[in-house]
Amino acid sequence: MMETQSKSNDDAGRVGGVDVAGLERQLASRWRETAAEEVGGKSGVTRVCVANLIVYASAAEARPELDKLLEEVAAQTPTRVILLLADRGGAPRLDASVSTRCRPALRGRRQLCGEQITIEAGGGVIGSVASAVEPLLVPDIAAFLWWKDIPNGEDKLFSRLVEMVERVVIDSAAFDRPREDLSRVASLVASRGEEMRLSDLNWGRLTSWRSLVANFWDVPDYREHLDALDRVEIEYEPSALAPKDVAAQALLAVGWLASRLGWQPSGRRVEDEDGLRVGLASGGREIELALRASGELGVGAIRQVAFRAGAAEFRAGFGAGGATVETSAKIGDAPIVGRVVAYEAKSEGQRLSRELSILARDEVYERAVAAASRLIATNAAGGI
Amino acid sequence: MAATVLENPLREGMRLERTAEPCVVVILGASGDLTKRKLMPALFRLAQARLIPAEFAVVGAARTAMETDAFRAQMRDSVAEFSDEQEIDTQVWESFAQKLYYVTLDISTPADFKGLGALLEKVDREHGAQGNRLFYLSTAPQLFAEAVKQLGVAGLTKSRGWVRVIVEKPFGSDLESARELNRRLHEHLEESQIYRIDHYLGKETVQNLLVFRFANGIYEPLWNRQYIDHVQITNAETVGVEGRGGYYESAGVVRDMIQNHVFQLLSLIAMEPPASLDAEAVRDEKIKALTSARAFTAERVRADCVRGQYGAGAVGGETVVGYCEEPGVAKDSTTETFAALVMYFDNWRWSGVPFFIRSGKRLAKRVTEIAIRFKDAPHQLFGREMMDQVAANQLIIRIQPDEGITLRFAAKVPGQVTRVRDVNMDFRYGSSFGVQLAEAYERLLLDCMLGDPTLYARTDMTERGWEIVMPIIEEWARTTGGVTFPNYEAGTWGPEASDELIERTSRRWRRP
Ligand SMILES: NC(=O)c1ccc[n+]([C@@H]2O[C@H](COP(=O)([O-])OP(=O)(O)OC[C@H]3O[C@@H](n4cnc5c(N)ncnc54)[C@H](OP(=O)(O)O)[C@@H]3O)[C@@H](O)[C@H]2O)c1
Repeated sequence: MMETQSKSNDDAGRVGGVDVAGLERQLASRWRETAAEEVGGKSGVTRVCVANLIVYASAAEARPELDKLLEEVAAQTPTRVILLLADRGGAPRLDASVSTRCRPALRGRRQLCGEQITIEAGGGVIGSVASAVEPLLVPDIAAFLWWKDIPNGEDKLFSRLVEMVERVVIDSAAFDRPREDLSRVASLVASRGEEMRLSDLNWGRLTSWRSLVANFWDVPDYREHLDALDRVEIEYEPSALAPKDVAAQALLAVGWLASRLGWQPSGRRVEDEDGLRVGLASGGREIELALRASGELGVGAIRQVAFRAGAAEFRAGFGAGGATVETSAKIGDAPIVGRVVAYEAKSEGQRLSRELSILARDEVYERAVAAASRLIATNAAGGI
Repeated sequence: MAATVLENPLREGMRLERTAEPCVVVILGASGDLTKRKLMPALFRLAQARLIPAEFAVVGAARTAMETDAFRAQMRDSVAEFSDEQEIDTQVWESFAQKLYYVTLDISTPADFKGLGALLEKVDREHGAQGNRLFYLSTAPQLFAEAVKQLGVAGLTKSRGWVRVIVEKPFGSDLESARELNRRLHEHLEESQIYRIDHYLGKETVQNLLVFRFANGIYEPLWNRQYIDHVQITNAETVGVEGRGGYYESAGVVRDMIQNHVFQLLSLIAMEPPASLDAEAVRDEKIKALTSARAFTAERVRADCVRGQYGAGAVGGETVVGYCEEPGVAKDSTTETFAALVMYFDNWRWSGVPFFIRSGKRLAKRVTEIAIRFKDAPHQLFGREMMDQVAANQLIIRIQPDEGITLRFAAKVPGQVTRVRDVNMDFRYGSSFGVQLAEAYERLLLDCMLGDPTLYARTDMTERGWEIVMPIIEEWARTTGGVTFPNYEAGTWGPEASDELIERTSRRWRRP
């Protein structure tokens, strides 16, 4: 990665604006240099850009990790990244620099595929930094905001950036108070409606579980059991950020099931060393939902889900070592049908890149968050 | 057909791709090359991607006597050899292998199909496959009709679930045999159960043709005789007959490539916009396009078609023998390994626009592409000296390798004087989407399991393809027309007559 700095503080320490035209010029010269290096230079450099990605992170964020992640994103989805590093408690300052990312393309030809503008802002400048971001967006292609923090509808910067982008990406696995924070997301979604399309990387982590679970009831012969469930068990690793709480991913999973299947709290709630068990009502039937933490601390990932409907049992879970996923369906005395498939853990960069391919509003997610937040709100009266 | 199933409320809004229904895949010809190379690796990858459910099994059948265990071991080796999977986890393989079975079966022995039926019942029950069956005919084409007949007689073309049959290529060896094959298939199967594979249609870029033409508003207005000067389709291979000389002797490039693959591409370029993406709507438009293709008469064959056969030469720096020296090929063979044709579509959109097609073996470069050559600007402002390196606007759609789309247009060379040069605007799948493109067979198998025949050839398409090329085949069989083979050197772009064919119209082949 090559970098050029452009300082916006003058010697007297006054904070000026960001020189947008200057940054664009520097980037253009980067492209030219690379074009010149191409053998023959006949076809020129293929400059592809399919999305703008604004990343908001705290200045204290570990840079090497973030850089690695953005590099991975660039390898999958050519983007212009505008990295906004905020030092909210620090002295007022505004610095910008540009850099480009290259990766080898087919047949060893060099291919430039990503560019990055890093803006470091401190103190009071943060409130107005959005005005420096807007002119840097590449026109006509989608813009995404990855808000690497708990989203706060009251925050001016957050609100301004949300207006600029097609989609906002958050990560509920980074919540240190999953119940409260998820409820805040729910109210934010409710208040913004169509104005803010939200993605959650943690929902992305849940996708393969949702598909494993949904797969069971794609099978016509099993379908009837979905309406007759009497017990659901979700096992998850405790979150390192909130070891005592139910992990956000598990809360999302429950919210998803409750919203899709119309489950309501029935009032029964037991919490002991075995975990949390709550009663849920669905069409006159009571379903016992058990949430259990097990294993080492981590991001709060789900490890296993099991469903029971009388004599039918459906189970999906990680195999030993976490490199495989095992599923089984057992209907009474019929032979158990199951399988083991490789589980290819996606890197965070791949996950983020995946979000950049989605523009539509994810109403299933929104309803899952709303349902989870309703179940959280009724905590004392049998909720989660 | 399966009874209507209750909707799965958990499926809604799922970002994951479409998952197939439970089924048993029966491969007739499971000891063969295609099973090893393509089918089993594709099924394994689909299972790993969880695009096929756990309620799934494969029954392999062929004459070779083999135990199921031996078949499983053999399949493991082929998956390891022919798929990109770096390392296959033992547990993962074991779980997949438990779903593989083998039965010894001779297509000409009806009793063997009873045995297959019994095994299918058992496998279906054990794996919860819901009575859905997909028969893959991966045998020599002479056995396709007989296999379907035996399936029909044994009652295996019906089931409590769906039954579909994938028929490999080649589909007939001329119009008569293709019609006869269709007739015999229809004796036991509904058209909706028949999936005639053309693996070109499984390629990402080919599917992108529909998107490119009909999801963009800017190309369609230009896509006609007003703006397009001509179209070139190049389908070039560097390989020779690869030990399949015996088969190729009875085929030739018109039968092997043009009648099926090239005409599929051609119809996608020439078709009118379909009313919907529904399989029948798309296939209706494709056949309509081919219906308006001007017929070849003996006279047109002589004027507008060129044949060639390669002699010894060098491909990619390696010396290679001529076609007649290949094993299984007659020393005085008259089979064509190269053909170039000019086609016209007699309809409003394409009237007068020539479509130049060339396809062959042992050519200079392996490439399949479609080049749309637009007309010149109506009035040339820039003089000859300024336009030294300018061709007309071209849109090039590369099907393989390095899938992508290039638009060529003129731009000013920076400097004090006005000089104009061609530049390329390049879109490559590989660099815009950092994902591995799926193998054609994966996509096609999955589509069949999902009951989507869009990317498969319908009866009328297979017959129309033959109808168009029959006069060429017949004329070439009747007379050498003064052509002596070999007439092109391996590693070149075909015989001189091919260049003359296009240059006669004051145009030139592109160098792909
Ligand atoms: N290989 C490729 O890459 C490729 C590519 C495109 C299309 N195709 C098409 O795919 C089909 C199969 O090709 P292939 O290359 O796999 O051919 P292959 O290697 O010759 O295999 C033919 C299979 O048919 C079986 N078979 C032959 N006679 C039989 C009978 N009477 N009853 C039951 N099984 C019988 C053979 O096994 P036994 O001898 O054990 O019976 C063998 O398993 C052909 O239609 C071909 O044109 C192949």
